[in-house]
Amino acid sequence: MDAHIKKVYVPMTETSFYILLCLREDMHGYGIVQKVEKLTDKNVILSPGTMYGSLGKMEKDGLIRFVREDEKRKIYHITELGQEVLALEIRRIKRLYRNVEEVLG
Amino acid sequence: MKQTKKEFRIFLITDYEKEGEYLSLRHSQGWKFVKVVFPGIYYFEKCTPEDVVYQLDYNQDGLSNKDEYVQLFQDCGWEYLMDFFGYSYFRKSRAAMDGDEQIFCDEESRLEMLQRVFQGRMLPLCIILFGVFIPQLLSVIGEPRNDMTIILILYSILFLIYLFVFVTFAVRYRQLKSHSKR
Repeated sequence: MDAHIKKVYVPMTETSFYILLCLREDMHGYGIVQKVEKLTDKNVILSPGTMYGSLGKMEKDGLIRFVREDEKRKIYHITELGQEVLALEIRRIKRLYRNVEEVLG
Repeated sequence: MKQTKKEFRIFLITDYEKEGEYLSLRHSQGWKFVKVVFPGIYYFEKCTPEDVVYQLDYNQDGLSNKDEYVQLFQDCGWEYLMDFFGYSYFRKSRAAMDGDEQIFCDEESRLEMLQRVFQGRMLPLCIILFGVFIPQLLSVIGEPRNDMTIILILYSILFLIYLFVFVTFAVRYRQLKSHSKR
């Protein structure tokens, strides 16, 4: 993984994180918005401008790839590089959580 | 026939948020936005006053993949209105929102939009400024003639407007940058 990708995506925005997390299955942008709404009990509502920009950027950076189009909705899937970046980010978040437990728990 | 009205307004390139607020204000006063035409004439039609959020996006990639771009906004409940000089206009009624919704949900993507505006709109302006205005201004200053005074004044005014746009751009950029987590 090159330094640029690491610098841009670790740590990453909540939107980017949920995109990678959801795209282990084929999904389109709005599908991700709906899934995240459900996962977070409507606490995180991803916005279309942010979603469109993030999908484009992550496709360009090779973290996700375009699979097919379905009724004007582009369906994506995570790439191997995307999985590596997601794993790094999950490790970081787990560490944060552990540290919270250690300090406050 | 529906009652309509026109208003003339000029918004700077970086004032897209103010423009959205202006359209929201009119809608809450019972004037629904219909369209805007060059050089800044806004058309409205009478409607029931309602709290509606108006937002502008600037995304050239979105314009070249219009169908998918507009579909995503519509799926999220944003009505697509029109494009004007690279900006796309959207609106969503506050009654249809869970809390406070915008077309961007983090500072990072707001900053990215500002960067797109800079690349698409400000860079061409910079090229005109340094390639045309400044050389002309220098040649006018170099050979002072009475009939040139008016041109000099016009150029100076244009230059000040430029300067103002650049400063507001820089201020906005810094604000977003400092709110963004990196």
